[in-house]
Amino acid sequence: MFQYEKKLQYPVRIKTPNPKLAAWVISQYGGPDGELGASLRYLSQRYAMPYPELKGLLTDIGTEELGHLEMIGAIVHQLTRGLTQEQLREGGFAPYFVDHTTGIYPTAASGAPWNAAGIGVKGDVIADLTEDMAAEQKARVTYDNILRLSDDPDVSDVIRFLREREIVHFQRFGEAVRLAKEKMDQKNVYFTNPAFDGVKR
Amino acid sequence: MYPENNQQNNPGTCDDSCGVLPECAPLAVPYVPFQQNNPKRYTQQEALANGTLFPGLNLPFQIKAEAVKVLGTQMAELQALEFMLLELGLYLDTHQDDQEAFALFRKYSNLEAEARKAYEAKHGPLTQSAAANAESWAAWLDGPWPWQHDTEGGAK
Repeated sequence: MFQYEKKLQYPVRIKTPNPKLAAWVISQYGGPDGELGASLRYLSQRYAMPYPELKGLLTDIGTEELGHLEMIGAIVHQLTRGLTQEQLREGGFAPYFVDHTTGIYPTAASGAPWNAAGIGVKGDVIADLTEDMAAEQKARVTYDNILRLSDDPDVSDVIRFLREREIVHFQRFGEAVRLAKEKMDQKNVYFTNPAFDGVKR
Repeated sequence: MYPENNQQNNPGTCDDSCGVLPECAPLAVPYVPFQQNNPKRYTQQEALANGTLFPGLNLPFQIKAEAVKVLGTQMAELQALEFMLLELGLYLDTHQDDQEAFALFRKYSNLEAEARKAYEAKHGPLTQSAAANAESWAAWLDGPWPWQHDTEGGAK
C-alpha cells in the first residue's frame, strides 16, 4: 500500500510566476516521457518480475517517480499562481488555461493528454528492463530540453535534480538486467521468459 | 568532499566513474557496467544538491553543476537524510552484498528517525499516524501543503 508523506523529495520554491515555462514543464507531468508514465510503468511491470531484486527495484524507483510527479505538479502550480489577465494572454499558456484554468492536468506540452500508449508492460524480463532503460533516457532528454528553455534558476535547480535521478535510475536498471541474466539460461537468455514460463530454481 | 570512505581502499579495480564489464559476454543483450562496491560518496547535503549520492554517477547537462545553494531549513535537513536512504536503497537493490552500504543505511535510518521526530515536534505531523500526537486533526489539515509557495513550499 501507499501512505502519504506531507513533504516533497526536494525543495520547490519558485519566486516568479511564469505561465510560459509552466506550459512546457507540464510535459513531465503528463507527457509521453513524464513522471506519471514512469511511475505507472514501473509499478505495473513489477507484478510479472520473477526475481526479488527486480521486484524491489521497480517498487522503489516507481515510488520515487510518484514523488517526482508531485514535484512537477508543485513547479507548475507555483509558476501559475496569481496570474494577471496580461500574463494569461501571452506566452502560449492560454490554450491550457481555457481547458484547465490553473488546475494541474496530465498532458504533454504539445497538448495531447496523458496516454498509456506511451508506456510499455510486456511481461518479459529483458524487454521490460530494456524499455525502462530507454524510458530513463527519454526523460533525461526532456529535462535537457527544459533546461535549454528555462531562464528561471529556481525552476532549473529542481529540473537538474530530476534529470540526474534519471541517470542514476538508468544505471540501476542496467545493473538489474545483468542480475537477471545471471539467473537466466547462461547459454541463451531468450530460451524461456522466466516471467511467464516459471523460474528455474 | 567524500567523507567516511575516502581514505579506504576501494575494492573496485576501475576508476570511481567507471564500472566492471565481463571480458566475454553473450551477444544480443544490453550491458551496463556495474557500479563497483564501496563507491565514493558525497555528504548528505551535497548528495541532495547534486541529485545523487555518488560522484561517479554525477553527469550534469552543459553547465557544470554549480554548488547549488542548499537550503538550511529543518525540512531540507530532513530531505537530505531521506535522500541518503533512498539513494542507498536503490544501490542496495542491485548490490545486496555491500555490507558497508547496508551499515550506512542503518546509520542514516536512525538519523532520519530522530530528525523526523524533531521536525514534527516543531512543525506538525508529516503523516496521518503522526497526527495522533497532535492536539486536534487540524494539525494534519493545516497548511502549508508541500506544493504551496507562500510558506516556502511546505518547508518551515
